[in-house]
Amino acid sequence: MIEVKNLTFSYGKDKQALHGLNFTVGDGEIFGFLGPNGSGKSTTQKILTGILRGHGGMVSLFGKDLRTVHTQDFFQQIGVLFEFPYLYTNLSALDNLHYFSSFYPSEQLRNAEELLDELEFKRDFRKKPVSSYSKGMRQRVSMARALISNPKLLFLDEPTSGLDPTGAVLFRRIIEKERQKGTTVFVTTHNMLDADLLCDRVAFIAGGNIVALDTPKNLKEQNSNRSIVFDYLYQGRREEQTILSQELKSGIPFAYDELISVHSQEPTLEDIFIQYAGRGLS
Amino acid sequence: MWKKLSHLLKKDFRLMLSSKFVILALASLVLYSCYINFVYVNLDQEIYPVYLYDPQAKQTALSDYMTRVDTRDALESACADRYSVGIDLASDQPEFYMLASGIDTMDHYRTIWAKAVLNGNIKGQAEMIGTNSRSMKNRREITAEFLFFELSAVGFLGLASMLFKEKQMGVIRVHGILPVNKAVFILSKLLVFLLSDLVFTVFLTALNLGLRHGIAVLPAVLIQAGILSLIMALTGFFFAIRLPDFKQFSLLYLVIAIFVTTPVFLAGQTGVSWDWIVYHPMYHLFAALKAAYFSVSTVKTSYYVTCLGMVILLFLIAHQTLTREMSREG
Repeated sequence: MIEVKNLTFSYGKDKQALHGLNFTVGDGEIFGFLGPNGSGKSTTQKILTGILRGHGGMVSLFGKDLRTVHTQDFFQQIGVLFEFPYLYTNLSALDNLHYFSSFYPSEQLRNAEELLDELEFKRDFRKKPVSSYSKGMRQRVSMARALISNPKLLFLDEPTSGLDPTGAVLFRRIIEKERQKGTTVFVTTHNMLDADLLCDRVAFIAGGNIVALDTPKNLKEQNSNRSIVFDYLYQGRREEQTILSQELKSGIPFAYDELISVHSQEPTLEDIFIQYAGRGLS
Repeated sequence: MWKKLSHLLKKDFRLMLSSKFVILALASLVLYSCYINFVYVNLDQEIYPVYLYDPQAKQTALSDYMTRVDTRDALESACADRYSVGIDLASDQPEFYMLASGIDTMDHYRTIWAKAVLNGNIKGQAEMIGTNSRSMKNRREITAEFLFFELSAVGFLGLASMLFKEKQMGVIRVHGILPVNKAVFILSKLLVFLLSDLVFTVFLTALNLGLRHGIAVLPAVLIQAGILSLIMALTGFFFAIRLPDFKQFSLLYLVIAIFVTTPVFLAGQTGVSWDWIVYHPMYHLFAALKAAYFSVSTVKTSYYVTCLGMVILLFLIAHQTLTREMSREG
């Protein structure tokens, strides 16, 4: 679906934002793009969504070089959720959806009401102006806007930002549902939980370079010190001990009366990012 | 494309209705019309009063414009307003007495008028051009001025305020990834404001020139109003996209109102004469609009070619600015 070879971009002399990125995203894959502010994450997404022109290297989407695709046809096949919910605040949720969907061929469109149902958007608010909505409600309408054209390729920028935990779970479920339909999803996020739970593969970008790219599971395994922490009771006392996983081959190598908890010491994606990039994600 | 344009037009029209622009335009229409019909149409300069001191009664036939006084003191006292003119016929040669008004041209006219009254040459001196009454001349003149102000300042502000609203909501960024050409996005805004400006022009002209005179000049006026509207809307579009907030835009608006529009008014409506005004593009737009109201065809083909070139150039600049803004913000 997406093929990027030696992608470079510069905002001017001495302002090179991307230094030769290489990655591919397969059909129906959820691909996470993680990086701190100023790492080149947004520039990459802008190039992939056709907003930013003048890149170096090769970017191919839907099997066509981005430079040669007809812009209108290309935009018909993609959906973009921005980090902030950009909507006409004087219009209602339904009016916004009807307006934004009016630029796509009608046979491609999904039903706005059904989509809002799926996003658990309150029915009594659908005809009220967006100015009366909470941030979470606006984010749901924005998600509906991104999905209404049934895109084959979906770009999501911080999809769960501004949502409560229930909303975040719902969004992750919807994204997963989109993938099951065959939609390719490109997620840009700071949220490690989203990346971990959603993405098939993640790429870490820092200083305009991809510093790591793999599945979250592999990244964690490769960077794990394979230690396990046991919390247990022994002779009436609570104790804690850290051992390496290979020490477990012949069972638990210490005396105990009762195990309280066992924690594998896998690094988080953020730990791994710091390890590769030498800095955090914020 | 037409379908997409119609969706954009519908949205822009709704956005315009929901803003205060329509109320502002309506208020302007009422205010201008009231001022024209109740104040300006009746404005005229009073004739300079002429007082005559003629102790030997040399002047037998006294003009209706002349008032006789009995003493030199009375003559001087009557002319103390720095407006009236006195004629003293006590000596062989008439002596003209007046206190300087402070404006040389005006004092010159006062003397000419007093001489004409004294010699009885007050009829048939001026050649009549056209068929305008004073009232109709005033109506055409001030309607052209108000329309120019409305289109160049208020219309400019209207489009910009709408764009700033869209910028603030962030929806311009969304248009960057929609399957709609950016040129159509600009075109829609232009059409909405062009239409509203033309409707305003029709009402202002009909209300203040009357239906018969109004209809007679409307085709020419609408062309000039359309040109001015497009140029100002595109200029407003460019600055609204380029400037980060409405405060900065308001400052620019003041600069435009003071330094761009004011010289045109002064050069076009007062005795102020500047040679450089012919290089001021707005002066030509104002002159063409005024000529249209007076049914005078002084506008050359080169003017229309320049205007067309200007509109195309501004459109391309607006398109490029919008594209850059979408990629910057998107």
